[in-house]
Amino acid sequence: MVDQQAVDVGVLRREVQHHYAEVATTPEADFHFHTGRSAAKQVGYDDGLLEGLPEGAVESFAGVANPFHFGVPDAGEKVVDIGSGAGMDSMIAARAVGDAGEVVGIDMTPEMLDRARDAAAERGITNVEFRHGLAESLPVPDGWADLVISNGVLNLVPDKVSAYREIVRVLRPGGRIQIADICVDKPVPEGAKRDIDLWTG
Amino acid sequence: MIEGAGLVGVEFGPNVDTYAGASGEGNARKFGTFGYPFRARKPA
Repeated sequence: MVDQQAVDVGVLRREVQHHYAEVATTPEADFHFHTGRSAAKQVGYDDGLLEGLPEGAVESFAGVANPFHFGVPDAGEKVVDIGSGAGMDSMIAARAVGDAGEVVGIDMTPEMLDRARDAAAERGITNVEFRHGLAESLPVPDGWADLVISNGVLNLVPDKVSAYREIVRVLRPGGRIQIADICVDKPVPEGAKRDIDLWTG
Repeated sequence: MIEGAGLVGVEFGPNVDTYAGASGEGNARKFGTFGYPFRARKPA
């Protein structure tokens, strides 16, 4: 369900893509959020999770909390990462699932997909694949995933109901989600809901 | 919304002050915005 009066979906997607393309290509620039290794540590990643990851994936990290607060996936599991960005969380998951497992990272921003693919290739990480797609129509078969992760993405998705239906579709029975996202404690005024700048920042 | 989609066992972890020290901190404070990890599962 999209609140059509609140925001133009096409405009929002273009703005989000533009914003995160900048995070992919110039992660050292000044954004309204923290990026990179310091951002990851601020939101709860310990050194053990970050150790040995490709720097290209870490530099453009822009997550909002730690989806691995509840633990990393088990060896052999299949993981979907929605809005995988530069691939940091996907690669943490890939290391945990090992050669018998698989990770699919999905993102709508080509510059982020390029950065993630380059980072994985640089380290020879072969059990992760990055695919272009939207949270509302995941390019993953029904019941494929043991675990769905995401970090700071669903708050940017205009049709959150469809996104959650997609998550349920791709999970196997008994499958899990471990998601990090932002929540607001105070009511958001209607005017603010129509402010694209507030959606993206 | 999470339970409405068919997930159960929703559990939230501790919040984190995601925007502290960033240029978005002002808007985050205005709306009480924090980052949270949460988990849930699809019934077997």
